[in-house]
Amino acid sequence: MINIQGLQFSYGEGDFSLQVPELSVVSGETVAIVGPSGSGKTTLLNLIAGNAIPQSGHITTNGCEVTGLHDAARRNFRIANMGMVFQEFELLEYLAVLDNILLPYRINRTLALDTDVRRRAEEIAQQVGIGDKLHRYPNHLSQGERQRVAVVRALVVRPPLLLADEPTGNLDPDNKDRVLDILFGYAENNAATLVTVTHDHDILPRFQRVIDFKNFYG
Amino acid sequence: MGDVLYLAWRYLLYHRLKTVILVTSITLIIYLPVGLNVVVEQSGEHLTARAEATPLLVGAKGSPLELALNSLYFSQDYPELVDYAEATAIEDSSLATAIPLYVRFRSRSQPIVGTSLDYFDFQRLDFASGRPMAVLGECVIGAAVAEEFGVGVGDTVTSSPETVFDLAGVYPLRMKIAGVLAKAFTPDDDAIFVDIKTAWIIQGLGHGHQDLAQPDAAASVLNRSQDNIVANAALVQYNEITADNADSFHFHGDLAGYPLTAVIAVPNDEKSGVILRGRYTNEERDSQIVRPVTVIDELLDTILTIQQFIVAAVIIVGLATVATAALVFMLSLRLRRREIDTMHRIGGSRARVASMLLAEVAIVIVLSVALATAITLLTWRFGPGVIESFVLS
Repeated sequence: MINIQGLQFSYGEGDFSLQVPELSVVSGETVAIVGPSGSGKTTLLNLIAGNAIPQSGHITTNGCEVTGLHDAARRNFRIANMGMVFQEFELLEYLAVLDNILLPYRINRTLALDTDVRRRAEEIAQQVGIGDKLHRYPNHLSQGERQRVAVVRALVVRPPLLLADEPTGNLDPDNKDRVLDILFGYAENNAATLVTVTHDHDILPRFQRVIDFKNFYG
Repeated sequence: MGDVLYLAWRYLLYHRLKTVILVTSITLIIYLPVGLNVVVEQSGEHLTARAEATPLLVGAKGSPLELALNSLYFSQDYPELVDYAEATAIEDSSLATAIPLYVRFRSRSQPIVGTSLDYFDFQRLDFASGRPMAVLGECVIGAAVAEEFGVGVGDTVTSSPETVFDLAGVYPLRMKIAGVLAKAFTPDDDAIFVDIKTAWIIQGLGHGHQDLAQPDAAASVLNRSQDNIVANAALVQYNEITADNADSFHFHGDLAGYPLTAVIAVPNDEKSGVILRGRYTNEERDSQIVRPVTVIDELLDTILTIQQFIVAAVIIVGLATVATAALVFMLSLRLRRREIDTMHRIGGSRARVASMLLAEVAIVIVLSVALATAITLLTWRFGPGVIESFVLS
């Protein structure tokens, strides 16, 4: 699913640099990336997603060399193949829950928003326990509910790859388990790959593989 | 495109206070110069049309504008008075037809216009019902008066006393409606027309009272001599002219000295008009003759100058508002950087996100233009009436 070779990345300013000589994640695998703050975990997630471009090296995702794509193609590839979950949920305050879930379909014309998609969004929302809150605004939801909305937004496009950046970082234990159940359940049922950056060592046993990122910190 | 508009609309709807402020500001910037122009142009046309239809006005020396506005639009700024002799002199000159006007009294807020029957022909006024006034105490009302008062032929209207506390002042006179005019879309719609003598009776220059020579009026006699009877305060004065008491109404003194606010002079031909105007060039004369169209043109010139100043001010304020709105938009982009980044990170195309932001601006502008257009249409429909009520009240 993901193949990284000779990856080198640094920001224009500062002395941070990330070097990943080789890293592979097979299709359907669930992987946790751990490491100290500032070690480049989130940066790697952004590189895999194509939100950042390495200075050198190759990243191949789902058979496509992401680093070789131009900007628009990268976005189209990302929205069709990857679901992103963020620690801060990143919901749009002015959209109701259903509109937030359907946002990927509204901001990229390669995805068509039809009744099937709406029905699927409602079904997934129902499954994760927010089916009765589809018309509420994010600021009327609890932290756990917001993260579930963010997760449904990532799942609604049925991506083969899920990238989650500290998805449980702001959640209480109950909601943490609930969100992880959703992510792992989706990965298992759809043979999807799950790559999660986390600081939470309690959840590591649930993953098939744990990558300690301090090994890549340059 | 639908999705882009939808997202933009949701954003504007959620931030409705900000949206309302922006739309209101831009609406005002668009509307003020446009609406002002509509009002001035329409009012100008309206004022000029009536002025052009009235060839000459004779009145006491003073403000020509007050004379024209009172005579044409029955404004409440009363000009100095001129004697009725002025009307008979014009008539006697055989140069023009003289139509006397005495526009001083009101019934509630509606002007009572004392005039002659020639006025209806001159203004080409048609009757919706009834007939012209034929005897003292009858009146003809405009269409708007009939509508506002809810009265018709056979009903009565009463003149308003000038001051409640002046016992010696103008008493209310109840007048019978002989006719209702068809709508003319001019100030005539709002007027109550009476014969000039009825107007003088309202003022108290003519009056009717019980006959002191009769035995039943003995209690009202203060002093009786061989050829004179002096009444006391118990004398019954009539406040309505009926068939029974009409004969008791009389005028003291010479009618030639009775007051008018103006005389409309309709010259027989252009030459007669020039000769007539020439007769009023004498500086020592107490009266003046004016061409209403000239007076109204001068008024419109003044209004136009004021309008230009206002438009210039609005343009400056408008530029400042547009600059502020642009600044607000730029600052909001900075505040929304995280939201924009999120959309990019989950795969939103740059063009779509940019389109959404531009759509927000476009919707605000479209709403503002639509609102400004709607208000301008309302102004076009009702503006002249409102502005006239301000100018003429």
